[in-house]
This record gives sequence, C-alpha cells and structure tokens, in this order.
Amino acid sequence: MLSMKNISKVFKTDLVETHALRDFNLEVKEGEFVAVTGPSGSGKTTFLNIAGLLEGFTHGDYFLDGVNISNLSDNKSATIRNEKIGFIFQGFNLIPDLNLAENVEVPLRYRGFNSAERKRRVQHALEQVGLAARMKHLPSQLSGGQQQRVAIARALAGEPRFLLADEPTGNLDSMMARQVMELLEEINRAGTTIIMVTHDAELARRAQRNIQIVDGQVCDFTMYQHGAVADKPHLVAGDKRAVEPSSVEAEEATS
Amino acid sequence: MLQIKPILSTLMRNKSGPILLLIQIILSVAIVANASFIISERIALMDRDSGTAEEEVFNFRLYSFDSSIELESQLQRDIRTIRDLPGVMDASATSMVPLSGGGWSSGYTVGNTEETAKDTESAAVYYGDEHMLNTLGVDLIEGRNFYEEEVLTGSPDLATHGIVSKAFAKASWGDEPAIGQIMYAGDFGDKPIQIIGVVDKLQGAWVNSSYLDNSVILNINLVNVFTKVLVRAEVGTLAQLKEAIPAALHKDNRNRVIEGFTLISEHRKRVYRNHELMATVLSMMVVLLLLITSLGLAGMVMFNIERRTKQIGTRRALGAKKRDIISFFLVENYIICLVGGVIGGLVAVQLGQQLMSVYSLPKLEPIYPIMTIMGLLLLTTVAVILPARKAAKISPAIATRSV
Ligand SMILES: Nc1ncnc2c1ncn2[C@@H]1O[C@H](COP(=O)(O)OP(=O)(O)O)[C@@H](O)[C@H]1O
Ligand SMILES: [Mg+2]
Repeated sequence: MLSMKNISKVFKTDLVETHALRDFNLEVKEGEFVAVTGPSGSGKTTFLNIAGLLEGFTHGDYFLDGVNISNLSDNKSATIRNEKIGFIFQGFNLIPDLNLAENVEVPLRYRGFNSAERKRRVQHALEQVGLAARMKHLPSQLSGGQQQRVAIARALAGEPRFLLADEPTGNLDSMMARQVMELLEEINRAGTTIIMVTHDAELARRAQRNIQIVDGQVCDFTMYQHGAVADKPHLVAGDKRAVEPSSVEAEEATS
Repeated sequence: MLQIKPILSTLMRNKSGPILLLIQIILSVAIVANASFIISERIALMDRDSGTAEEEVFNFRLYSFDSSIELESQLQRDIRTIRDLPGVMDASATSMVPLSGGGWSSGYTVGNTEETAKDTESAAVYYGDEHMLNTLGVDLIEGRNFYEEEVLTGSPDLATHGIVSKAFAKASWGDEPAIGQIMYAGDFGDKPIQIIGVVDKLQGAWVNSSYLDNSVILNINLVNVFTKVLVRAEVGTLAQLKEAIPAALHKDNRNRVIEGFTLISEHRKRVYRNHELMATVLSMMVVLLLLITSLGLAGMVMFNIERRTKQIGTRRALGAKKRDIISFFLVENYIICLVGGVIGGLVAVQLGQQLMSVYSLPKLEPIYPIMTIMGLLLLTTVAVILPARKAAKISPAIATRSV
C-alpha cells in the first residue's frame, strides 16, 4: 500500500539546513491503522505530508498503491490526493465561509462528480459522522469535536483508500477525542488504511500498530504485545488483516 | 471547473469588501461608457475631411497700406509672381480659408418664381478665380471650372457663376441636378448666379456650425486693401516660402505687410483644439478609472489570498489543481464584475440621458456600455490572474503547517 525507502527531506533556509527526515523507511499494508508518535519537531508532520503528497522529498523512493510518487506532476499529485487520500488536520481546516454540506462537497467538486452524486455522498458522509441534520450550519456554529467530525466526513466523502490524520485530537478535550478516535476505528474496520500522528499515548495504544519517529527516523517499531491487543477485542475481531508478528519482525530487520 | 454556487455563498456571507468593489465598478462603468462615447464623438468630428490638400495648402494675409497702390493690377501681378516661385503648385486670392474660423457665409434664394422660391441653408462663400479649385486641391465631380474670362475682379455683388459643394447641392436641390440651377445672393447682389460645377467636398471655416460642408465658390477676385492669399505648395516648402514670398512681393512694392503663413492642417489643429483637449482629458480619466478599478480588484485579490492562505492550502490538499485555485479567484471576481457591469451599464444609460438633456449630447449608443463591460472583464482577468498565480503557488503543506 505504502512503501518508503531511504526517504530524506531537507529544508533549506538561508542559514540552516534542517534534515527533517533521514533515511526514513516504512511499509504500511492495506487496512492497517498506524499510530505515529514522537517528540515535537521529530519529523512526524513532514512524514505525513510526504505520505499524503502534500510536499516532495529530497531523496529516496516512495510508492503509494503501486504508483511511483517521485516525479509526479503537480496536477497528478492533486488528482491522487483527491481520489485516494483523505486528510484530517489538527485545526480541522474547515472553510469558514461555507456551510457543512458545502465543506464536505469541496473535494467532490474537484473530483468532477455531478450534483446528484455530490448530494448523495455529502448526505451519506454527514450521516456517518452524525451531523446530517446540521448540514446548513456554518463551522463556527459547531463545537471543536463536531467540526472535526465534519472534517472526517469531508475526508470520507470521496471514499479514499487511505486516511492521514495529523494530531486529529490535538485540539479536542479527551471526551471528544475519544469520540473522534472511535469514529476513526470504525472507518478503519470498514477497510480504510489510516495513519494517525498523535501525542496521546493512550489513543496511540488503541491503534493496531505504533511507530515512533525520533530525529527524522523510525526509531522504535513495535507491534502491540498480544496482551495489549487483547485489551481491544473489537480490533482483533474486526480486522482480519492484522499484521502478523513475523512480518513485522521482517520489516524491523530492514529498518 | 466552475464553482459558482459555493463562490456565490461565500460572497453573500462576506459582503462588505465585495460591495465596495461593486460600487467602484458601477461608477467606473457608468463614467467610462459615457466618457468613451463622448471621446469617440469628438474624434469622429475631428476626423471629418475638409476636402482640401491640408498639408499642401497655406494662406497668408496681405495688407497694402500705400494708398497709391493700384490694387487690382497689383494683386494680379502678385499672384502671378507667387505662382512662378519654386515649390509653388498654384495660388489664388480668396475671401476665406477652410477651417480657419473666420470668413464669409450666406444663405441664397433658389427657385424660378415667387411661389417656388425658397431659402437655402447657409454656406461658406469663397470668392476666387479659375485657379481656386486646384489651389485648394478639391475634386470637381460635376460640371466645369470657371473659364479665365468669366472671372471678374472687384466686389462680391458682381458674381454670376458658382461652383458648389455636393452637400450644398443636395441641401438646395435634392436629387435634381445642380448644374444649370440659378440662385440669388440677396443682400450680396441681385444678379442671378448660375451653378456650373459641383465639388465632392469643401468645408467652410466654422467646425462647430451645422453647415460645415456647405460651400459656394463664386467667380470674383476680391479687391481690397486687406487680402488673403491661398498657396498650394509641395509639402515641406512652407518654411522656405515664408521667406521667399515676402521677398518677391516686396521687390515689386515694399509698402505691404505680409504675415500669417498658416497651413490648413495648422488651422485644423487650432479650431479643433477644444475637442482635442476634451478627448484627451476624458481619455486620461478613462485610463485612470480603469487603472484604479484594476488596482482595486488586484488589491482585493491579494487581500483575499492573504486571508485565505490556509484555506487555499487545504483546498490544494483536498485535490484542487493550481488552475482550480486561479479559477476560484477568477469566477469570484467575474461575478462581482458582471453584477457591477450590468448595474453600471444601466446607470450609464441614465447618466447618458441626463447628459443628453443638459448638454445636448447625442444619445449614448448601447455598444459603449457593452464594450466597457467587455473591457472590464478583460481587465479583471489580468488584474486577477497576476496575483492569483501567487495563490496557486501556495503549498498544500500549508494545510498541516499552519494552525
Ligand atoms: N517549511 C519548513 N522549513 C524549514 N524547516 C521546516 C519546515 N517544516 C518543518 N521544518 C523543520 O523540520 C523538522 C520536522 O518538523 P515537523 O515534521 O513539523 O515535526 P513534528 O510534526 O514531528 O513536530 C523541524 O525541525 C521543523 O522545524
Ligand atoms: Mg507536527
């Protein structure tokens, strides 16, 4: 699904070169729910941006869903983002001038769907997050948790294979954070691959797989111990594609 | 991909900025449409052809203050002297100079009996000899020129033959042939004047008169202490003839003042100066208004890019291509421009009607507001695309980097 080999990313400014990612290696399989943790400034957002085709990288190879991402045109990247990837941001990033339905509709318009199809998908996506009744509201009329659910609806409306979330619960209280997390788990159970950056160790632990980025590299690479997985029976039961420990070990060896 | 509906709702939810721009556009369209109409009216007036060889023909004034001069023979000698100068193509004494702003004009009476008699429109009256047509460079399209022996020397009331401009012939006799018609000068003499020729075009001296194209040439060499002389000479010889003509005439008799050498093209510049000034001032106003409007548009776009940086990054992250971002700003401003343009067009028509009644201008032609709106759309495209290209360059990574 996602394969990064020896990816490096250097930010050059007048004075300094920042190596945000260095020899970064990662494989994510279809249907996985990966939680990414790590200290601030370690390169988590950079990794997510590269994974989501929001920015390019300096060296290395990146394949997403079999497509070589290294030399894509700007238009092609936009199309892949639009069709295959859903984004969820820490700050929700809803467009304040548009009501909820119009916000969810944004990527669908870029997709070129006709108005009936857009309407159907907006309705369905907002129903999934439980906000269909408030379609005509503006984002400012909602709580943070509700706004993030709208953002999730927007990410889901295009039925992406791949959901990227950068600290989706970072601006939410723990109650709302849990609701959002449950929503993401539900989406993952339905088959969507999710990579989520988070600061919240408790939420990270609920993911099927944890990786840690330290200083621009995948440092610690742990599969949840069987005991911990047993704490979350729904995940094991619901997800047939749970990663086998053996394959994780194999990956660990290459990283 | 057009996204009119969400852009409209965005505009409706943030009205104050767009409304200011809208008002600016309405006023611009209303003023620019009327101003460009007036400009083109003035330019059309200035473009009217005098029918003469304006770059070749000049006149000067000849004032004989020596009472011992025998005016009639002196004038004939003078004209002959001038015709023989190098560079001179022809010369003729005249009562007036085209486009000069001064001269003679008169109405005539036509018709054979008391009952059918009627007054003609006014016409400029040129008194001159058989050289006059060639000197002015006008085209004779019907009939003939004066014969040398027909030309009389003396006062206006001696006139017996006339050559008229086509416009005057049409105004006086309609579709009847002008050649052979008789007209009477009234106060300027009771002899019947027979029309022997028609010239295609010859304007009078007053560009703001309603009868500028009506002209009559009568077969008289006016004799006066104060005479005007028309000279047709090769282009570029005026500077040298300015010296040569007084020198040649003074050789014959020193007691004359010779001055005021002016090409018809220079007369044209002078008589149309106010029109030109008006056209220039209005053009500058139009340019300025359009400039201010495009700056307003571009400023608004830049402000919105600034304000929407995160939104643009988010849209890019959600799949907008660069051209989608540009078209987002284009559509938004096209909407403002079209609404402003249509309202401005209606205001322009109203304004035109006011100008029409107050300043007796012609009625504003609808093509002017329409062209103004089209021009404005073009301007909008440029004023929006230039800054919007910057918006298209905003990285999608902004979506995750800014909180
Ligand atoms: N646009 C940029 N220009 C320069 N340096 C950057 C830029 N974006 C990120 N960085 C740097 O790259 C490193 C990794 O940043 P980031 O991926 O945002 O970390 P994290 O999300 O883990 O906090 C940091 O040192 C950060 O300062
Ligand atoms: Mg970050």
